[in-house]
Amino acid sequence: MAELDNIPQPARQHLERIGAADLVIGLLAGRTDGEIGAAVALVREALAKVSSSVRTVVIYTDPAIEQTAELVPVEEDANLHLLSYPPVAPATPALTAQSTEGAYRAVFAAGEKLGARACGVIASNLDTLTSTWIYRLIQPVLQLDFDLVTPCYADRTFEGLLNSSIICPFTRALYGKRIRHPMGPDFGFSGRLTHRFLGTASGARAASRVHPLTWFATEAICGGFQACQAHVGIRVHPPADWVNLSSVLAQVLDPLFLDVQQNAAFWQRTRGSQPVPAFGESVSVPEAVGAVDVRHLIESFQLGCRSLQEVWGIVLPPKTVLELTRLARLPADRFRMPDEFWVRIIYDFALGHRLRTISRDHLLRAMTPLYLAWVASYALELETAGAAAVEQRLEQLSVAYETGKPYFLSRWRWPDRFNP
Amino acid sequence: MWVQIEQALNQSMLRVLNELASLLPGMAALILAVLVSTLVAWILTFLLRVSLRGLQFDERLNRGGAVPSLIEWSPKNSPTLLLTRVIFGLVLLVGFLIGIAAFDATVTSQPTMQVFGYLRNVVAAVLVLLVGNVVARFLARSVLIGAVNMNLQYARLLSAGVKWMVLVLVLAMALDHLAIGGGIVHLAFGILFGGIVLALALAVGLGSKELVSRSLEREASKKPIDAEEPFRHL
Repeated sequence: MAELDNIPQPARQHLERIGAADLVIGLLAGRTDGEIGAAVALVREALAKVSSSVRTVVIYTDPAIEQTAELVPVEEDANLHLLSYPPVAPATPALTAQSTEGAYRAVFAAGEKLGARACGVIASNLDTLTSTWIYRLIQPVLQLDFDLVTPCYADRTFEGLLNSSIICPFTRALYGKRIRHPMGPDFGFSGRLTHRFLGTASGARAASRVHPLTWFATEAICGGFQACQAHVGIRVHPPADWVNLSSVLAQVLDPLFLDVQQNAAFWQRTRGSQPVPAFGESVSVPEAVGAVDVRHLIESFQLGCRSLQEVWGIVLPPKTVLELTRLARLPADRFRMPDEFWVRIIYDFALGHRLRTISRDHLLRAMTPLYLAWVASYALELETAGAAAVEQRLEQLSVAYETGKPYFLSRWRWPDRFNP
Repeated sequence: MWVQIEQALNQSMLRVLNELASLLPGMAALILAVLVSTLVAWILTFLLRVSLRGLQFDERLNRGGAVPSLIEWSPKNSPTLLLTRVIFGLVLLVGFLIGIAAFDATVTSQPTMQVFGYLRNVVAAVLVLLVGNVVARFLARSVLIGAVNMNLQYARLLSAGVKWMVLVLVLAMALDHLAIGGGIVHLAFGILFGGIVLALALAVGLGSKELVSRSLEREASKKPIDAEEPFRHL
């Protein structure tokens, strides 16, 4: 099995010794024994809520192990095994696309080897992990026969902005499913779906080096698998890295736009969007955000507008560039970027990415000042808003993406057509 | 006496006429070679133009944006026209050289071979210029985008500096290939390259003196980002 290449040889031998399991859970973020121990206790609590007879293997990478793998029996529970092995990729502060790909595939391969009905992958920081979090990710697969469970985190107003501004509404408009966090990173998968991921389709994608997090949801939707989402709780988001924001944008949007190219036949037929079943209750997050200082964001955008017009002009129509110039002249208190305008910019960049009008890396990095302008506009609009108003605002943005889809479709099909 | 003069004149006229007559086949060959090469060049350029238009060469280059300078330099902003004209000229030049070689192999073949030998350098120089242009634009764009994302106010200046440094280097390399200028080119390149670096250093150094002090003051008075920054992107 080629997929087992993602698992070191000693770990494979342990898997053979275990034989079979119903559930495989991968903990990708654990770094210390204490963290792993606490997470395993939560897994046991979650399993107790599902059923007492679910044979489970918890897999985690242990940087302390260099060449071997360890199978740790859990004395109080004969149905639970812990398997640790060295990381497949060098440990980095943030999971890179390559190491993420390897980590997810290793969990899938272990599930496949053990004939597991379900796989759960927890990639978020373990500090906020709860048994309910784990339960809600695996229960719809084990008991309700769903194939994919995506997480629905309780975000604060200004958290997960890249997801709120682009990933979620863009995916919803194109693929027709209202999934709040299509890029997870915590998921529940059925054995059928992981088998598909490990099959030919994912092999081709792996070869094209697409970030796995972008295509779990879209692959499931395009393949007709049953998807749902679960309210798991509050997630600790990594602090904003302003210095490397352009790299983050490029790393996230490049695979997202590449995926759009690969699924063009599917999304061109899709009209509108439908909600997916959601489990659990959304948690209200305590908000303590008053007035936010967005001057530096607006200044970054204004600098971009002065310096990058030539680059933007390659992908954006002249009318949009003109609108951007006007936007840059607005005073901070009246600085607003209309949704329709933002949506067109994203669609034009997605098209520019497909046409390779300039280097894809340049294209996506040149988007940074535009994204900052959106963040500034969004922040000014919602700095005093409550959770309901934020939800309504995001729904309004998603609808704008859906409304703008015919424009994208038209430009995708006839990119050379005159577009003033 | 008159008879001798007449004989001398007759002989000299005969010699000149003989010389002219010996040149005639060469002249005819030259004219024929130029005519044939014109015909071949016309057919070649016609086929090339039709193929390039079929491939939408101009539109692709325009959309690609990789070699905008090529478009700027092209007659009527059409790289297809530029390419076909270059090919036409080259074929005509080859025909002319063949015609020249037909005069007298011993006298004309050496310069012809020299011209052909030099042609290699011309092609190499053109290639260096083209590749250098693309590299200069790519690097300039990388620097521009990177500098803007780092909030550097002089991003455009940096980008233009990088572009001109690469272009000057490329131009010097091309002239070196063409063996034009010799030592002067090396000297001029050194002065120009050094001048650009110095100008950039002065411009950035002097221009950003206040900027740096302001940004240092700002950094010193800044609270930790985590404490005040509500934004989370991922």
